[in-house]
Amino acid sequence: MEQTSHHDRLPRELKYIQYEHRLETQYLPAIRALISKDLSEPYSIYVYRYFLYQWGHLCYLAIDPNDSSLVGVIICKLEAHASHSPPTLRGYIAMLAVQSTYRGHGVATTLVKMAIDSMKARNADEVVLETEETNIPAMRLYERLGFLRSKKLHRYYLNGNSAYRLVLLLKPVDPDSAADLALDEADIYR
Amino acid sequence: MGGSEGIVAFDITKKFRAAAGTLELGELVKDDFFSLFESVGALEIMDPKMDSGCLAPGESLDEDYDVTRPLSPGEVIGIIDQLFCLEMAWYQGYPLSQTLLTNVYIDRMLEPEPLILQDADFIRERIAKEQRDPMHVVLRAYCLGLVKCCWYINDRIKFEHYYEEEDFVTNTYHRSLLDSFDLNDINDEIMAARRLVHSIRHRIGNELAQALGFRLELRTAFLRAIELSVMRSNPESLSLPWTQMKAVWEMIYQSRHLGQPVPEAFSTKIQRRLASTMPPRPIVKLSTEETYKHFKKLFVDGINVLNVLNYHDSQSLLVLTYHQNFVMTFQSQKPQPLVYIRTLLQSFLFKDMIILGKLSIRHVLDDDLSLVVLPASKFLDPANDLVEAPHHPRYALAHQMELFRQRAAQSYLDIFRAFCQNRCRIRRTLCHSIQDWETVQVDAEEIDQLLRLQIDEKPHVYPPTGDEDTSGVEPTYSLPLSSWAYLYKLRLMEWIVQLGFELDIYAPDELAGMYWYLSDLARHRARLVDRISYFTKLRAAEEKGGATAAQEAAFIRSKHYLYQASFDAAITWEMADAMSNMYAALGRLGLIVPPPRPYSTDELRYDVRMKPFGTIGLPELPSWEVYRASTDRAQVETEKLLEDARLSLEQAQRGLEVVARMSEKESFSVGCYERWLGGVTGQIRAVEKAGVVVEVVMRKLEEKGEGTKGKELGLKVGIGKAAEGEHEWWVVPTVEEIDQRA
Repeated sequence: MEQTSHHDRLPRELKYIQYEHRLETQYLPAIRALISKDLSEPYSIYVYRYFLYQWGHLCYLAIDPNDSSLVGVIICKLEAHASHSPPTLRGYIAMLAVQSTYRGHGVATTLVKMAIDSMKARNADEVVLETEETNIPAMRLYERLGFLRSKKLHRYYLNGNSAYRLVLLLKPVDPDSAADLALDEADIYR
Repeated sequence: MGGSEGIVAFDITKKFRAAAGTLELGELVKDDFFSLFESVGALEIMDPKMDSGCLAPGESLDEDYDVTRPLSPGEVIGIIDQLFCLEMAWYQGYPLSQTLLTNVYIDRMLEPEPLILQDADFIRERIAKEQRDPMHVVLRAYCLGLVKCCWYINDRIKFEHYYEEEDFVTNTYHRSLLDSFDLNDINDEIMAARRLVHSIRHRIGNELAQALGFRLELRTAFLRAIELSVMRSNPESLSLPWTQMKAVWEMIYQSRHLGQPVPEAFSTKIQRRLASTMPPRPIVKLSTEETYKHFKKLFVDGINVLNVLNYHDSQSLLVLTYHQNFVMTFQSQKPQPLVYIRTLLQSFLFKDMIILGKLSIRHVLDDDLSLVVLPASKFLDPANDLVEAPHHPRYALAHQMELFRQRAAQSYLDIFRAFCQNRCRIRRTLCHSIQDWETVQVDAEEIDQLLRLQIDEKPHVYPPTGDEDTSGVEPTYSLPLSSWAYLYKLRLMEWIVQLGFELDIYAPDELAGMYWYLSDLARHRARLVDRISYFTKLRAAEEKGGATAAQEAAFIRSKHYLYQASFDAAITWEMADAMSNMYAALGRLGLIVPPPRPYSTDELRYDVRMKPFGTIGLPELPSWEVYRASTDRAQVETEKLLEDARLSLEQAQRGLEVVARMSEKESFSVGCYERWLGGVTGQIRAVEKAGVVVEVVMRKLEEKGEGTKGKELGLKVGIGKAAEGEHEWWVVPTVEEIDQRA
């Protein structure tokens, strides 16, 4: 992708769509390529299918309308979190990526907002994610939306970097729900 | 397919194909047990990043380095020095597959697994000793020592509490790290190699011979240090090999220029032969300088950790209170000691449930109770155990105290165990511990009630009213055990908040509130210490005259401790008040601007932030309204906020200066005094810096007049990482004067 030609484009020109299974052939390879770019360990196809098949409605794509190319993507899940009593409905932002040439235009923020809105509409209690401690732009993005760091995870990533767990509470905590203080065990993204 | 009883095999290929044919590409059929974990574990054949057997065109499966080629002394030094870098990377938490097991010599030595020591060699052919390349002999001996070290360290770490992959990777990929070979035999090989080097020193030159000798000597010392560390007595002799390593390490570093790198003796391809599905991952490359620094720190920590064993006076009975300081200060070093050292600390403290190799848990618990709440108390009198008549009050005391010890021991030790972990884990673990201590406190209160009946304790009005007439005021009892548990719980709660600052958990606009909460907790603690002191004094007065010298001494010791504890609490609350007021003012002045947060409310974030404390009954979590009102102090003018901050800082500084003059004994920091004092002076510097910030803001506000905000004040405030500040628990902002016309 040429560095300059896309630069001046305004994100409002982009088209945001919800992922559907019929888009797999067209977009899955691009989604994988975009996400793998920042990963030392690629996820296998099964990881993508695990999310997309079950929670395609929580996956959004940012598309360049001119050539239908993929600019950004967010992949999430939403399920009952078992270690809570009573269990909470927990949204999890698993992957978020935007083409480097489009960064700084709010594409990622738009994608995250769409995902949160969708989770809210589905009655989510909270949304969580992990991010590398060195990834300042990501933390700023989430913290601007209302996420808080709830804990730090030592050497969470294979490269030896630590992570922060970020939490966005959407509904008040049940005061009697006991001791899963910790918004606990880190899901196994590494 | 035979042998499995009752199982009839038949071919389902056709059926399966037909069924699969009805699926679209990408359609997923999964049962409820196929979890994310399974999907992450799956791999794709022929993807070079996932398939370990996938080769690039023209790539060979194995490395083709010739381990039999002659080596120059410089090359051996180069290889050894590279091995140091890899060894350190492993200690830091990277897997063996990406560190030491990338070395071809080590690989050939371990695979196929040697059954006799003679075969533990990268050259398996038998060559007569005198015909061997002496450099091969040296490198082999070094590698033998290195691998055996790794085996011991791996084994030791596995034995203690640590977090796999997070702290350390113990996986050896089915390679045996010379497990079954005798340490003495390996030592002999190293000694033989040292003699060999000595004998050829004229041929290869003194300088090279010495450089090789240092490296072999380090291995000997390392093995010796490990061997000795299972003993938990005589710290002086235990520290000898560590001291030796520290010295030799300098010589090794100074002779590094003699090394000639042999990069081709290291290969990621070896990973394909390891028991792992992981495709080859890059070698972790620490620089020589980093490696030097970390080894140096390792050896210093290795010496220092032994001090935990170094209490001279078992009569002083201050064991864990002192060790609490030791562990705390030891563990708050930056960088934290390596996991191996932390493992040693754990094993020194707890191995076989014998504390520091000498003391029973009862001994330790009773020491602590005696110091904090029960000096010279008959509750702790060992003679109680000798009473056999079940109706005798002393029999009941012994029984109830034993129940309490059984209840509290694990929770008590868990605190120390927690503090041996990495910083992130300490905070997470303490969040759970406070729940546990909440119930310890409740159970302790029950036992308190039973105990006071046995000794027929008279209630007292507390806090004392000063009036003669105390009618209408409910008198209370001393409640020593639950007070003790409560004190620990409060301290744990403070630690959780303080570690939150240390780990940069809080957003800038949360700082005012979190410091207010810290202050609130410290005030609770101070009040509790006052209460304990009051009842201890009463008892001391009652027993005056009848007390033995030892009992007198116990009362005095406890008094010192409580004095120091209340001082510590006061400093914490003054400093926390100052920080809270300062950050509240900065927020009001628009110098710290909260992000928009369209998806969140202040109350919801309060819920998230205070979740660990939400279930604690005492002290009850302040309501959001109280928290906000106390943090914002809306009715107080900004100038007054800053003035209050200034006054609190002055108080804190005065307190800290008194503390800084305390002796090792007075501060309960025997064996860790310097680290402890470093912490105190760090706090003093933090106070001073905060003082400057407050002063600058006050001055600007005066210049510009009330109501001036943000940029118009001509100030810019920044908040750095806690680790880069003067003290990790006191986050002091930077303030910079700017040209507001810009």
